[in-house]
Amino acid sequence: MNAARRAAGAVPAALRRLVRGGYARWRRSIQVRVVTSTLCISAIVVAILGAFLTQQMSNALMDGKVKAARLQLDEGLSLVQRDLGSQPDNGSRLDNVMAGLKARSGPSGLYEVYIRDTRDSSFDGYSTNELRVESIPQRLRQELGDGPADATAYTFGKLSYVGRPSERGLIVGGKTGQFELYYLFPLTQDQHTLTIVSRALAGVGVVLVLLLAAIASLVTRQVVIPVRLAAQGAQRLSAGKLEERMRVRGEDDLARLARSFNEMAANLQDKIMELEDLSQVQRQFVSDVSHELRTPLTTIRIAADMLYEHRDTFDDPAVGRSAELLQSQLERFESLLADLLEISRHDAGAATLDADPLDMRDLVLRAVGDIQNLAERKGSKVLLQLPGEPCMAEVDRRRVERIMRNLLVNAVEHGEGEDIVVSVGADRDAVAVAVRDHGVGLRPGEGQMVFDRFWRADPARARTTGGTGLGLSISREDAQLHGGWLQAWGEPGAGSQFRLSLPRVAGSELRGSPLPLVPPGAGGRPLFAELEVSE
Amino acid sequence: MRCRRSLLASVALLVLGVTGCATVPSGGRVISGRPAESAEQADDPYVRLIPVRPKAEWGPGQLVAGFLAASAGFDDGHKVAREYLAGGASSWNPGPRPSVTVFDDRPRLEVAEQGTGRAVVRASGSRLGSIGADGQYLADPDAVEVTFELTKTASGPWRITGLPDAAHNGLLLSKSDVERAFRTVNLYFFAAGRPALVPNGVFLPLVNRQNLPAQLVRALLEGPTSWLGPAVESAFPSGTRLRRIGLENDVIVVDLTAEARGGSAERMSAQLSWTLRQLSELGRWKLQIDGRTVTPNGSGSVQAVRSWSANAPDGPGSDEGRGDQAAYVVGSSGHLSRLAGDQPQPIDSGEQRLARPAVSGDFQEVAGLSSSGDRVLAGPLTATGAQVRALLTRRDDRTRFTAPHFDRDGTLWTVETSRDRSWLWMRPRGQAPVRVSQWGLAGREILAFRLSRDGARAAVIARVDGSAQVQLGRIVRDKGGGTEAGSFLPVSSELVDAIDLSWRDYGTLAVLGRKGNDTRVLPYLIPVSGGAISSLGVGALGVPRTIAAAPGAPVLIGTRDNGSGGQVCRQRAPRDLLSEWICPIPGSDPTYPH
Repeated sequence: MNAARRAAGAVPAALRRLVRGGYARWRRSIQVRVVTSTLCISAIVVAILGAFLTQQMSNALMDGKVKAARLQLDEGLSLVQRDLGSQPDNGSRLDNVMAGLKARSGPSGLYEVYIRDTRDSSFDGYSTNELRVESIPQRLRQELGDGPADATAYTFGKLSYVGRPSERGLIVGGKTGQFELYYLFPLTQDQHTLTIVSRALAGVGVVLVLLLAAIASLVTRQVVIPVRLAAQGAQRLSAGKLEERMRVRGEDDLARLARSFNEMAANLQDKIMELEDLSQVQRQFVSDVSHELRTPLTTIRIAADMLYEHRDTFDDPAVGRSAELLQSQLERFESLLADLLEISRHDAGAATLDADPLDMRDLVLRAVGDIQNLAERKGSKVLLQLPGEPCMAEVDRRRVERIMRNLLVNAVEHGEGEDIVVSVGADRDAVAVAVRDHGVGLRPGEGQMVFDRFWRADPARARTTGGTGLGLSISREDAQLHGGWLQAWGEPGAGSQFRLSLPRVAGSELRGSPLPLVPPGAGGRPLFAELEVSE
Repeated sequence: MRCRRSLLASVALLVLGVTGCATVPSGGRVISGRPAESAEQADDPYVRLIPVRPKAEWGPGQLVAGFLAASAGFDDGHKVAREYLAGGASSWNPGPRPSVTVFDDRPRLEVAEQGTGRAVVRASGSRLGSIGADGQYLADPDAVEVTFELTKTASGPWRITGLPDAAHNGLLLSKSDVERAFRTVNLYFFAAGRPALVPNGVFLPLVNRQNLPAQLVRALLEGPTSWLGPAVESAFPSGTRLRRIGLENDVIVVDLTAEARGGSAERMSAQLSWTLRQLSELGRWKLQIDGRTVTPNGSGSVQAVRSWSANAPDGPGSDEGRGDQAAYVVGSSGHLSRLAGDQPQPIDSGEQRLARPAVSGDFQEVAGLSSSGDRVLAGPLTATGAQVRALLTRRDDRTRFTAPHFDRDGTLWTVETSRDRSWLWMRPRGQAPVRVSQWGLAGREILAFRLSRDGARAAVIARVDGSAQVQLGRIVRDKGGGTEAGSFLPVSSELVDAIDLSWRDYGTLAVLGRKGNDTRVLPYLIPVSGGAISSLGVGALGVPRTIAAAPGAPVLIGTRDNGSGGQVCRQRAPRDLLSEWICPIPGSDPTYPH
């Protein structure tokens, strides 16, 4: 019974699969759509035409039949009139007339005849063969009875017989004197003809519809195949294979499409190469400038150091101040230069990963230890949330330390003296570090902008304070070099959180982070949803 | 684009439809069909009377008129007619083969008494005869008067309570009713002790053409009519009934009850085949006994209704048109001559001149009358000539002999007749002539006597009440050798003066006679079953005296001039009933071997 139920369940399941598969094909393939529409529309048109044709044929047949029937009736009526007139009848003459009419009824019933003497009430007239008198509908009798003396009328009805099934028929009736004469024509033969014709029509219609569908399929195939090729070409082009070209065949519209596609591809390729060259030149320029600046900077540095060491020896204290200022700005200039070099290395793709398996907790502890002084100076307390077990990951120590330092310094600088929470999390594939501050936070849209080069939360703030403006950019480049993410969350007044997620194995794809981007307990809606930095 | 395709499709369909309908052939080769059956078939179209149910306002006279009319409607077992009867309607049941009293016309009705609750209606008319329950028609002209008793029923209308005796289990119908509602069909039985089938014409009420095969077979199983009964025998053992008759793949299956196992399948099949061949739509049939198909010898299990020609009433093969018989005439020189085309080839018959010659079916013997008609001559027919000598001489000078003829056994038959008496003579081959003791027309003058080819019936022209009437009788041959010729019944009342007759085939007589008020004697074809007579040919014939006919052969008429010899006439196109008569053959007294 279970098996039966399973089998019963399998049928709708299979059907559903089929329907779903069909729908999917319908959605994906123009060809299927065109063929289906052609099938449907042509089937409807053919059906309408077929119905119309059969109707026409039936009408024509019936018209002919009615015409012949009325002629027959006229002949019969004139015979009755000639042989019977309007004199009283003694029975046998009506009999003789009927015998004459019967003889004309032809072999095995081309038609049946019924005659009735309205003045003889002792019997209800004569009919030929097996015809039952109920075959003559009351409405026809009524029509004749109410009509003028020589009225004729016809109608369609059902002819019933003694001892055999009834059939449809045409009934014509006429009146002459006291006699009513009816001819009843069975329409079996006509019905047969119509059946044959409509069957033939149906067959032709089905063949025609299938033929049309086949034609539609063939025609759309001729269109769809080049379109598919173009789609494939475009896909490959977008995937970076700029050499991809379509084959041009003939001179038709599709050939024109292919040619345009190819031209477009060629132009794109040219432009891209041009841009690449340009950006290469720029990067090279930045790199060169940085390098070129170093040499004079070193000289200036030596001179500045000397001036700084002897600042107390200057008479004018303002000169001493200047020496100090020079010193600090030189340091800043140096670090800016270093960051510029670093970022140009990233841009040139020259940055390499020097990964070793390390415990992230150690890295975090060391980084926190480095900024402990700075934090105390700002009045912030750094709270650590570290898991009990080691969080091993293949990372580049130098780069991850730089990231941590950047994040921690940022947190301290924007932390407004509040607590800073550093948490570490790990799962099977990834490790994550989140740095949370409770400072001014970020306005909507700023979560992304913080990673832009030289972006500042407050443009009014002097360049003299803070970092170089490249720290977070470099950090993100470093995270991406690992195949990881660096993301920011923030809310005005609620502080912000930066999360670094790294795969345990360097270079493997990251699917998710062990830590939430939005810190637990931070109410309200997040400023921006989980935005994958890598994309 | 799709739209254009649909348009294209509709145009194609239209073109297809139009060309398909619009062509009717306007030429082509000639396709020949089978010749149409000219003879009336049992299942030809027929006419039915539609009875009306009694109306409440009808008086006694109208009610009886309605009842008599309704009796002629056979639908649903006279359901409507029964509504005219009070209460005891169930006791009145004419059945499928009722006995009928045939009136000349609808009886005249007259209300003899009419009380408040009771009435008597008297119906009077001239009776022509009656049809028995077996379908045999017996002429019995008389003036009769019957009475119907009626009662006014509690609910108002009149109903018949007392039927006359004739209507108790039968019907009172007019001649036109019978002609309309009945068909004469032939049932075929074997002539006693012979292979030849004998048609037995019976009247069957035609209720429904679908039932006709069953009706025919049932009638056949019930046996011959009382008139023909003693002369024929049926191959069906008594008690055999029809189990079922039906159509299977265009083959009529006749299923008989187990009693039929006792009969000869061949003879039963022959009877059934010949009986069923009267239905035009039947081609093949199958005999079953108790549900099992029977295969008779000499035929497959599916038999054609046209088979069994060896049992044809007119002799083996006669129904297949193998009737190419040589005709003999008396040439202008007075010698017996054989006709070759239109030229008589004389056969040397010695000194004797033969009148009214007859040749036996095996061409071994020839007979005839002496030129004065006072002697019957007979003798062998050889290649060199015919040697005839006197066989019978008339008893006195008031009598004379009718034209002698042979039957299929070679027995010679003739009737010696005077104005008021007649004697039938038969002479079996190789024996002396004997007088048939049981001769039913001994008190009549006989003008012609002819045995049918099946040997069981005889057609005569007898003078009855001054007019020469064609009558049909039966020939019964006892096992002991005795022969009876009797039960003569008039065949047709239309011919008032007949001169000579001959069997055209088993169902038709060719008769020279005068019809009604005609002044001239003309040839007619008379169906022995009692159907309408038809005249044969058109044109001048001189004074016809004798007639000769045979199945499939042209009818020959011997005319005699007042002076010399005469001519033998035939139709220009013998197959055409109304073809013109021509008289190209010099001679007289034509005959076909019999």
